Amino acid sequence: MALRSVRRPLRFAGRIAVLALAAMTLALAAPASAQQKKISFLTWNISDQEDLFKEWIAEFKKIRPDVDVEWLDKKGPELPAFYQTQVIAGTPPDIINTQGALWLEYAAAGGLVDLTPYLDREPAVRNRFNADYLAQWKYDGRNYMLPFYISKTLLFYNKTMFKDAGIAAPPQTFQQLLDDAAKMAKGEKTGFMTLNFDWLYWPLFRMNGVDLLTPDFKKAAFDTPEGVRVLDALAKATSNGSINKTSWTGRWVEPNGAFAGGNVGMLLAHSPAFFFIRGQAPWVNADTLGVAQAPGGWSTPNSHGLGISKGSKNPDIAWQFLKMVTSENWTEKLSARRKVLTGNVASDTKLLAQMKKDDPLAAAVLQTQVEDTDKLTGNWPLASDSRVKEAVYPEIQNAVLGRKPAAEALKDAEVKVNRVLAR
Amino acid sequence: MATAVDFPAASEATSGAVGKRARHARPGVRRRREMLLVWVFLLPSLAVFFLYRILPLVWNAVLSAQQFSLFAPSQWIGLDHYREMVDDPVFWTSLRNTLLFMASAPVGILLALAISLIVNAGIRGRDVYRTIVFLSYPLMTVAVGIIWRWMYDEKVGLFNYVLRSLHLIDTPLPFLQSFELALPSVLIANVWQILGFYMIILLAGLQGIPQNLYEAASIDGASPRQQFFRITLPLLRPSLFLAFVIGIMTSFTSFDLVYVMTQGGPSHQSELLITYIYKAAFELSRIDYAAALTIVQFALLVTLTWAGNRLAGGDAGAVESGA
Repeated sequence: MALRSVRRPLRFAGRIAVLALAAMTLALAAPASAQQKKISFLTWNISDQEDLFKEWIAEFKKIRPDVDVEWLDKKGPELPAFYQTQVIAGTPPDIINTQGALWLEYAAAGGLVDLTPYLDREPAVRNRFNADYLAQWKYDGRNYMLPFYISKTLLFYNKTMFKDAGIAAPPQTFQQLLDDAAKMAKGEKTGFMTLNFDWLYWPLFRMNGVDLLTPDFKKAAFDTPEGVRVLDALAKATSNGSINKTSWTGRWVEPNGAFAGGNVGMLLAHSPAFFFIRGQAPWVNADTLGVAQAPGGWSTPNSHGLGISKGSKNPDIAWQFLKMVTSENWTEKLSARRKVLTGNVASDTKLLAQMKKDDPLAAAVLQTQVEDTDKLTGNWPLASDSRVKEAVYPEIQNAVLGRKPAAEALKDAEVKVNRVLAR
Repeated sequence: MATAVDFPAASEATSGAVGKRARHARPGVRRRREMLLVWVFLLPSLAVFFLYRILPLVWNAVLSAQQFSLFAPSQWIGLDHYREMVDDPVFWTSLRNTLLFMASAPVGILLALAISLIVNAGIRGRDVYRTIVFLSYPLMTVAVGIIWRWMYDEKVGLFNYVLRSLHLIDTPLPFLQSFELALPSVLIANVWQILGFYMIILLAGLQGIPQNLYEAASIDGASPRQQFFRITLPLLRPSLFLAFVIGIMTSFTSFDLVYVMTQGGPSHQSELLITYIYKAAFELSRIDYAAALTIVQFALLVTLTWAGNRLAGGDAGAVESGA
């Protein structure tokens, strides 16, 4: 009786195991038997362009009917984690869209395909792009990405607050910026705000001649009397309310939201902030919002690029896809729909011309993105960019929020940065 | 003289002996088959446990001793990451914050105990009070974090509005942007959320205490205070231990609340070990260093749980029978 009671479940379990094995074998065998290839592309928080990407995929299907294209989109904080796990699993997306300097880590570690040979073979593709922006994705003399859409920081200013404070024009020097901010800071109003991620605040230092690293990128170079002076001035301005504290603690929604609230005189942010602010602020129009370069013309780029993963099984097909999506036809569509510059010179010129008629304020914002492109900062070719940022920014925060004197904060930051660079 | 009668007797004896051997053998075979069946049914769960718990733990330990690269072979570096941790101020800050977070568990448990005692008493509407207190626990922690973040907001937050209305402060307090207030603000939100869960555990423990003990104690002249310290608390030990362990675990796993409210800022002042592990792995791309941090966190968790068990009298705080 006991034997019978044991045999039956064992036989049943055995049958189930055999069936499962057969099903698995069939499933694994199915794709192997198909001739269809597949590429995937991963974008950074741009799900609003789903229709455009479907058009891309449909168009590419006409060019390469033997290739299926899969689109994935992740929000900014999720993308690096997602990409890393896919790389470890051996299934990285063929094409990756990155923002800021994240691509550097991957390129320096050999994780991206060097696009230089492709560009050398097809100079017409290289010549599509704004050379200064294309050069943003060079590491060790090699190009690893193509521009997807480009942006850099500029100074937005509230013309009404300027008028009320008796300020005639946007500031031309750091000291003028602080003085103007102090004039506008009254009660709930503050004079200046900056975004702080991805080195977007660094023009405040660079306009005073303070650079992050030595020219060989091997040592910290910001712990100088000038660096201390700048940081001390920013700390005092934050303490007396001239600079809004959210500059140093918020990321995107809070600082842009604060400017959109109409109580901040100036905002140092990159061009995508304009559309966010305008969406939130009914007061924004050509008479109330001004745009200018930051003093000295310095800006931090924060562009999006497209690259090919080293682990891609079809890099040539991925390159074909990249060529298609960065062509004039498709970049025109992206720039018209999203009101962004793409780094494709022909498309950008057309967009600016059209927007000057349709939306002069947006055109003015975008015009700043193609000016002073020789004065870019915050874009050092460091594989350890994120770790250097992590070493510097908390100490900047310590100083501007009054926890440490500026000199001590910069000294501590210097030690941490040099330790990171030495590793 | 052997007779045919003897043969049947002999064969009976033989067949009896054979039968006896078969009866002895059958239980052993039966037991082996039963054990086999047990293992067959246990195997899938054990496989999942091994794949998702043991293997990652071992791999994590190995990873913590390597220089890992996403795109190149790893190199063995031994204890270098642990040496780096000793000089890492963010590690010490996040460790301190995690221990502070853990220290808030007894505060929450005490509050929950007080509420449980009130709710356990025969007051009117106690079911309603119990439900209200418990309501916070099933809420998604992300939602809790967002709500509390807005309540703490310097410009439009409820707390600043109330404090200014009561003239307790002149200028709004930057709760989540303050070096001093950021962590306590997160702790308060955490205690608020988990209070209901502690209450349910302690309430179950209270309701498991036999009432005749209190009656007997009253007859013997014991005051309510004496009854509480001599009867309630000792018999509540298993529940208190459980609540304490859950409190410790929460301090090591409260990623979402901190991430939503402060992201560990300002300047790591509200950073916990778990958020630092995430940042190290996915924002600084230092998976190997994050693995080392995880090992340290694991060791700390095991040590604290063991210490808690010892303090509770061992055996997970169980009360000896016959006590």
